[in-house]
Amino acid sequence: MAVNDDDVCTSKYITLVSNDGFEFVVLREATAISPTIKGMLRNPFSEARTGRCEFPEISAPVLEKVTEYFHYWYKNQDKAVVPDMDIPVELCLEILVAADFLGLDKQQG
Amino acid sequence: MSRPNRPQRRIQGPQSALTDFLASHNISAQQIRLDAEARRRAAEAETETPAAPQDEQVTEAATASTSTGDGVSTERTSRAQTTVVAGAESAKRKKAQAAVAKIKAKKKAQKRKRGEDDSDGSEYDDLAEAIFQRSAPLPGQMENCAVCGKRFTVTAYSRSAPDGGLLCNPCGKELDKEEAAPKKRAKRVPGVISGRRQVQSKILDGTYRPGAKSLMTLCIETLAKNINLADDLGELPVTAVDKIARNLSKNRLIDARTLDLFLQPTVEDLFIYDGSKLGADDYIRIFQTAAKLKRLRVCNGVHFKDEVMDYLLSRHIQLEYFYLHGANLLAEEKWKEFLVQKGQSLTTLKVYWTDKHFTDEVLALLEKHCPSLTRLKVEHNQRVTGEGVKAIANIKSLRHLGLDLREHVHSDVYVHLLGKIGQDLETLSLARVPDADNSILDALHNKCRSLRKLRITDSEVMTDEGFARLFKDWGNRELKFIDFQKCRQLESTQPRENPDGIGLCSNGFRALMAHSGRTLEYLNLYGCRHISPEAFEEVFGADKVYPSLTKLEISFCEQVTDFIVGSIFRSCPQLRELIVFGCMKVKDVKVPHGKLLVGVPNAVGMVIDGDDN
Repeated sequence: MAVNDDDVCTSKYITLVSNDGFEFVVLREATAISPTIKGMLRNPFSEARTGRCEFPEISAPVLEKVTEYFHYWYKNQDKAVVPDMDIPVELCLEILVAADFLGLDKQQG
Repeated sequence: MSRPNRPQRRIQGPQSALTDFLASHNISAQQIRLDAEARRRAAEAETETPAAPQDEQVTEAATASTSTGDGVSTERTSRAQTTVVAGAESAKRKKAQAAVAKIKAKKKAQKRKRGEDDSDGSEYDDLAEAIFQRSAPLPGQMENCAVCGKRFTVTAYSRSAPDGGLLCNPCGKELDKEEAAPKKRAKRVPGVISGRRQVQSKILDGTYRPGAKSLMTLCIETLAKNINLADDLGELPVTAVDKIARNLSKNRLIDARTLDLFLQPTVEDLFIYDGSKLGADDYIRIFQTAAKLKRLRVCNGVHFKDEVMDYLLSRHIQLEYFYLHGANLLAEEKWKEFLVQKGQSLTTLKVYWTDKHFTDEVLALLEKHCPSLTRLKVEHNQRVTGEGVKAIANIKSLRHLGLDLREHVHSDVYVHLLGKIGQDLETLSLARVPDADNSILDALHNKCRSLRKLRITDSEVMTDEGFARLFKDWGNRELKFIDFQKCRQLESTQPRENPDGIGLCSNGFRALMAHSGRTLEYLNLYGCRHISPEAFEEVFGADKVYPSLTKLEISFCEQVTDFIVGSIFRSCPQLRELIVFGCMKVKDVKVPHGKLLVGVPNAVGMVIDGDDN
């Protein structure tokens, strides 16, 4: 992924980093559902320059599921019938907390 | 199945059609008889041979494996286990061979007796082997289980193991379970039809949104499905906890056990959306645990009884928000005690579905004991009369009032109420008031200045003139929410004629939209069937825009046509849902993308969203 350090990063993809250093590359448009990430990628913040969003409070398995959700949401944006995404029961509460943090409680971004 | 060395048929002479038919399909009656005989003999042979040596072999192998398994990796122990199984199998095979040999010997002896030659011995070889390949002991015999090795009696229901042999009852049940599990999972996968049905159901509920569910919703649904695994919800945000509570209630999962998940000493809000499974003890437990409780909502709180209220009165809990639904076992005396002792802090009181015990006298206490009450709702109440409504008129702090009473209340009482507290009212909801007349509308016009939400339903006396007068030059600010459903003339003999202009008709509708159209978000005109098509066309004309309107209900407005529906979509850019049940002139209308038109009388039933942009 090309990161432009001088200017605002305009790449189609952004990187999400978990607290244990795992990186997830996501379509920028797919993260539009999260107001939190949208806000991070606005200009004055360093995330806007680098296109890297670090989440020191989210672990890799949870962030992986969140990343999966971003693409699931993006793919099914306009569909009438959407099969539910599978949420592993053991991670359910952690994902719930992460979803609250990322503002993923609305259907539309 | 064809055999290379089939015996020639020995039966000569006339033969039945069946025998001939069977013979043409390579089935010989003779052979079937022989098969049966051989099987019976094999069974006899097996019961004769003692089972002990085989068992010994198995146990020997097992002990060998356990002795070597001391401090070795799991891989090795598993290999040892497979050798045990292999050992048992080889023992079985040996036994089978011995039995085959025995049968052969017996057959030969028989034949010799019958004086036949021994030329077709190989055929018996095949036969005997075939029997033992199938290895099917008859019901009633003893057999060793292929999995656990225990002796058991074979029945007609004994299951065969996946790799040969039979299973004892417990092992068979285990296998059943394993096979049943994936089948169930396959069923639950939503098909195309059920998905479509779900969508239609959601449209009718008014909860439909296209696209994927939010991650939070997905998590909460998963959690609700597995709530029996949860011991503690942990540090979740209040909104999420509330959503979980709603989701659990939807599936009637709130009981004494799941209630504990929501009970924490620090909790200030407790919303129980379905308390039907909770007993009086559970409600008492709420007040025992949640000492800081401020807002309590209980729906279907059947067991919120006198003793619960007694306990609440004995605690230091000061409720600000109290919402009780369906608590018919709570006596009038307890209501009074509650208001006298705990009314001081109360800002919201909502009481739904009571038959006997929430009365005029209870309402009369509100003025004195609830100085900060701003919201009052009394709905589906069978006792409150005009007296009670007059008492409400004395509550100066009231801003939001909702009444749905079963007793007859004269319009003058409402006029009196509006005269006293109408000035500051922000919400007024008078549901099911068939006798309410224009005097109420005039009182609204003269007194109310802060209303945002207005509901008057089922009036059979109010006239179009009255509605027009209300909205013309009304000093009240623009409204956000208006519900005038079923304000219409009820005349079964001449339903189309309305000479007196009863109900909300064309002029009232024009005046309403002229006054509040700019800010109106919700408008319900259900059953206002004398609004003319001209009025609709004028109100939703090409030059008119209603920027805030999101939901419009015009069911049973008979004059609505395709053209009017199209005009509505054009004039209301924010409109999400338009409900047109019973509008028979709406036939084939183009619905813009992302909008909902509900209730079109065609085979599809509902149009979700069109391709038009």
